[in-house]
Amino acid sequence: MPLEHRFSLAGKKTMVIGAETPAGGAIARAYAEAGADVALCALTADDAVLKARAVKRDIEAMGRTATEYVMDVTLGKNVQVTTRQIAKELGGLDAVASAPDLFLAKPIEKISDSELQRVMQMNFTSQFFVVRTAVEEFRRAKAPGRIVLVTSVLHERGMMNVSAYSAAAGAVASLIRSAGHELSHENITVNGIGLGWMDWMDDRLTPGDENADRARRFPMLRRMGTAEDLGGLAVLLSAEESAPYITGQVLAVDGGLTQHQ
Amino acid sequence: MIQDLALDGKAVVITGGSHGIGRGMALACAEAGAGVVIAARGQERIDEVVAEIRAAGGKAIGVPTDATNRQQVDALVAACVSEYGKIDAMFAHAGGSGGGPQSDAPFWEYPDEAFEGAVIGNLMSSFYSCRAAAKAMVEQGTGGSLVMTATAGAVRASQRWAYATSKGALLSMTKVLAGRLGPQGIRANVLLPGMIATSEATTEQERAIREQRGMFTPAGRVGMGADFGALAVYLVSDASKYVTGQQFLVDGGMVNGGVAPPFYTPQHEI
Repeated sequence: MPLEHRFSLAGKKTMVIGAETPAGGAIARAYAEAGADVALCALTADDAVLKARAVKRDIEAMGRTATEYVMDVTLGKNVQVTTRQIAKELGGLDAVASAPDLFLAKPIEKISDSELQRVMQMNFTSQFFVVRTAVEEFRRAKAPGRIVLVTSVLHERGMMNVSAYSAAAGAVASLIRSAGHELSHENITVNGIGLGWMDWMDDRLTPGDENADRARRFPMLRRMGTAEDLGGLAVLLSAEESAPYITGQVLAVDGGLTQHQ
Repeated sequence: MIQDLALDGKAVVITGGSHGIGRGMALACAEAGAGVVIAARGQERIDEVVAEIRAAGGKAIGVPTDATNRQQVDALVAACVSEYGKIDAMFAHAGGSGGGPQSDAPFWEYPDEAFEGAVIGNLMSSFYSCRAAAKAMVEQGTGGSLVMTATAGAVRASQRWAYATSKGALLSMTKVLAGRLGPQGIRANVLLPGMIATSEATTEQERAIREQRGMFTPAGRVGMGADFGALAVYLVSDASKYVTGQQFLVDGGMVNGGVAPPFYTPQHEI
């Protein structure tokens, strides 16, 4: 099989949810580079739309089709309806990536009910809705499907003040394992990308905090990850021919952070 | 349940049992009622631990043993059976450089002898100990408990890579033995110590080093041999009859963190 075919998304219809986030934008651009048309979903109808539009311009400059939407991922119905519309407009759906990221860091006793709910809704429940809906579309088309959920390596590690956030990441990892199992016999794969310390994560690596500066040097590769570090794995997990036998996995793009002692 | 934890009538061998973690496990098992066999290379330290156990009313004998020598290990298990009539548990705890030279050389220049020494000291010694104990347990028809000691460094990238690599093999051996020996009623588990002090600090400098190392551990301190006592008792006891193939991290939470300094505390509102 020629290499470019193995990693090809030529003619494929793809959707990136959270296209305004650095991870979502990187995956959308990588999908387009691999030949896909991409529907870009911003999670909120504010400056997120402008950020997603910048991704759209990049993709159009590559000669691909990009369309933009706003998707309220806190509502399962909205995810379903918007996805249905996208699949109709694109003429099918082959791969879906979802990259929400709402970070909260507070002592556990200070996290309110509503904060916990928001963190779970954005980071986990939304991913559940995405898988549930994508499966419907893949089945409708009777075609293989690829799902990539972006999460955090905190699904397997502890840190101060991140109880709610890491619990959501843990839920995503469990979703990936079980959904991967459940859908495996339909040639639908479900995988995750676990992010370590990325260069846009000033929200969790407080600038000026010396321990945060130390944490930035914890990855074995001695640097933080960049958006460009994600594209290759996203395409590998999303192309029809590249990784049909990989499912139910959360693969870390963390420069070796989680192997650090 | 609590009576399941009593070790009265059990016979337990501990290689590397004369100091540090091994000593902590030996003292606890003896206190719980087991007859213990302290195996180590140095007679003097063996005698100290045996005397300590006997002084407290416990049962102990000492058998000087080089755990990298299969004949000596076979004789060690025979000594346990001779003294107590059987063997119920083997702590294959002894480890080290196996007589090979220590080396700080980079990987691409690492000497054969240093790597082979780690394999002999940590992997072969555990193999000899578990094999001899399992043979006796099968002959007795009683089953029993095999406990190896790896290191937290075996599940993360350790600076001491030859040591960690040879210890890492014990994680695989634990799973394999659990699967293979389950039908014989023999369970196999492995301990993964984090940063552990093997003796009391005797100098201010030593205390300062330990305090600093403790800062890398969420628990805020390095571990001590005594931190392994209750776990050792549990793993010998009938309370753990259905527990096999497991890894027990005793590291004050170190491995569970590791993505930032333990006390790094981000603050972020949504």
